[in-house]
Amino acid sequence: MAGPTAAGESQVTERTTIAQRAHYSPPWADVSIIGIAGSSGSGKSTLSQAIVQKLNLPWVVILSIDSFYKSLSPEESKKAFRNEYDFDSPAAIDFDVLVERLRDLKAGKRAEIPVYSFEKHARLERTTDIYSPHVLILEGIFALYDPRVLELMDMKIFCEADADTCLSRRIIRDVRDRGRDVEGIIKQWFAFVKPNFEKYVDPQRKVADIIVPRGVENQVAMSMVGQFIEQKLLEKSTHHRAALTELEIGAHSEPLSSKVLVLEQTKQLRGMNSIIHNIDTSNEDFIFYFNRITTLLVEQALNNIPFTSAKVETPTGNKYNGLRPQGEVSAVIVLRGGAALETGLKRVIHDCKTGRMLIQNNIRTGEPELHYLVLPKDIDKHEAVLLLDAQMSSGGSALMAVQVLVDHGVQMDRIVLVTYSGGRMGLHRLTKVFPDITAVVGNLVQDGEERWVERRYFRC
Amino acid sequence: MSTPSEKPKPAPVQGVGPDYRSESQKPTATVSTDVDFETVTVLPQTPQLIALLSMIRDRNTERGDFIFYSNRIIRLLVEEGLNHLPTVEHTVTTPVGSKYDGLSFQGKICGVSIMRAGEAMEQGLRDCCRSVRIGKILIQRDEETAQPKLFYDKLPEDIAQRWVLLLDPMFATGGSAIMAVQVLISRGVPEDHILFINLIASPEGIKNFATKFPKLRVVTAFIDQGLDEKNYIIPGLGDFGDRYYTM
Repeated sequence: MAGPTAAGESQVTERTTIAQRAHYSPPWADVSIIGIAGSSGSGKSTLSQAIVQKLNLPWVVILSIDSFYKSLSPEESKKAFRNEYDFDSPAAIDFDVLVERLRDLKAGKRAEIPVYSFEKHARLERTTDIYSPHVLILEGIFALYDPRVLELMDMKIFCEADADTCLSRRIIRDVRDRGRDVEGIIKQWFAFVKPNFEKYVDPQRKVADIIVPRGVENQVAMSMVGQFIEQKLLEKSTHHRAALTELEIGAHSEPLSSKVLVLEQTKQLRGMNSIIHNIDTSNEDFIFYFNRITTLLVEQALNNIPFTSAKVETPTGNKYNGLRPQGEVSAVIVLRGGAALETGLKRVIHDCKTGRMLIQNNIRTGEPELHYLVLPKDIDKHEAVLLLDAQMSSGGSALMAVQVLVDHGVQMDRIVLVTYSGGRMGLHRLTKVFPDITAVVGNLVQDGEERWVERRYFRC
Repeated sequence: MSTPSEKPKPAPVQGVGPDYRSESQKPTATVSTDVDFETVTVLPQTPQLIALLSMIRDRNTERGDFIFYSNRIIRLLVEEGLNHLPTVEHTVTTPVGSKYDGLSFQGKICGVSIMRAGEAMEQGLRDCCRSVRIGKILIQRDEETAQPKLFYDKLPEDIAQRWVLLLDPMFATGGSAIMAVQVLISRGVPEDHILFINLIASPEGIKNFATKFPKLRVVTAFIDQGLDEKNYIIPGLGDFGDRYYTM
């Protein structure tokens, strides 16, 4: 399960909730992996880049096996600088880490990918994150080498090119991108690259599904691979939408969870809502009253964060038994609508750490898609995370947003969804999948309400 | 002003938190003392409110934080206070073309702050009512008689036609608030058109006030345990004006 479970006790509660929990499977839950192997300079990366560029979707990403070079010992490093280290043998690659990361991605989790410096012949401190790809292209001379990796793949491609083409491409690349000199490159080629090709690289063609000669010039192969990926993406989208529809069943008959809190409909609130809903309200008034309500929403949301007893002493020396928040509270804004709640948020927590994610509904299919994501690094340590959105109708994007937080290690019971309006079905669907989250809602509205609030607030 | 001093009752302590949590999951804290007056509204004793009050009561809280956190409570007080103003049913057309059955606000309002501490509440009032008129009343204790004395007032001309939100954060014996209400009544404001917006009150002050002005509405965040021999609220938070303006 997502999130670290420290104590045995929490594992027990987790097991009991699983029984009633509905399951949501995000489109990235079962990433399709395409392997592209071939000799150095055979056009693997050009081919993968061409495919990705043609599709131009943020959820088709390339992972290069070069990132998984092992860090070298001082001795090996010296050899490497003399061009005497064998980088073209499978032994130079850390397949264990690669398999681990691929399995994480396959499970829908975030994977930290090492960054390897060819200039320093070492893994750098920093890592890059890969999260939520629907299709992953793994390219490298040994992409089809390890049987554990092969097991995870949906399509295996082997690129072919003449040896002299490969060598000339390699010289150009290594001089330009990797700070090498021509003599060293040629030395390496005959000492390692060529013998290794015959010994390890070439045999991979036996496990390949397709063999692509002439790389990107091969239009037929390019469009074949492109079509295969598009087919995979379509399958995932269909599956995702079907899963969302399935979660709707039963939403109307059952009462809402006790952790869905709707703001008390006081006279003031109804009056402000009337101004906000009125098409004739001026822009200034709309923004002013919307900010007022979102301030109240955030205040209300904060009642659901963990507190602990605290004794304080007043300036006159009296004691008071009060409370204080247990730890840091951060927020994550679901763009674009959630940004309309930011003024309210800052009025209540002026220096709140704020993550952002852009989730948009596909115009054709209506499927929510995650386009952009930046979260505070330590978000899994925060005592509470407020998830802000202006409106929630079917709950598709809210489901996805909560899933993203859970995938980043935020415990479900620390998530408080804050939204100006929420549809009953969407709220039901969300709390059925994530029963431990709290939802603070300004107004309970009809299902399927249009996203008009953000249009009005941002005036476009 | 000498009030028949009741012995301070022990302050009520209870678990504070949302309803879906069991009692054992709620941390305990001292909550507002109960009073039995229909016209007195105490804000819901939510964990967030208690935490905000803890911040501003704490002597170690610095001025910037004191201002920020007291403003947050004041905004909640004003929001609650405004609920007591008249409204009428009102249906509007929404941007997506449907009908929304709501309310529209009736009547004009104004704020009146009792100087100096009451002025600290003007920001919170303006956060909710942008261009509201704000009158001021200066009442000080007469050194010789120890009785409150009116030194200055500047009020909207048409105050008699308005609902008045009277602002004073600390309400101990209620001497100056009573005098301020008398000033307002003398300018023609009906007693039931006055809302007294207050942060922390003493049970004695509340009782005194509610008995004297049975139609006036009081909105407060917290009723404390009582008064000490110098008529300071216990536990209170010290001098609000000093902490907000000069300390």
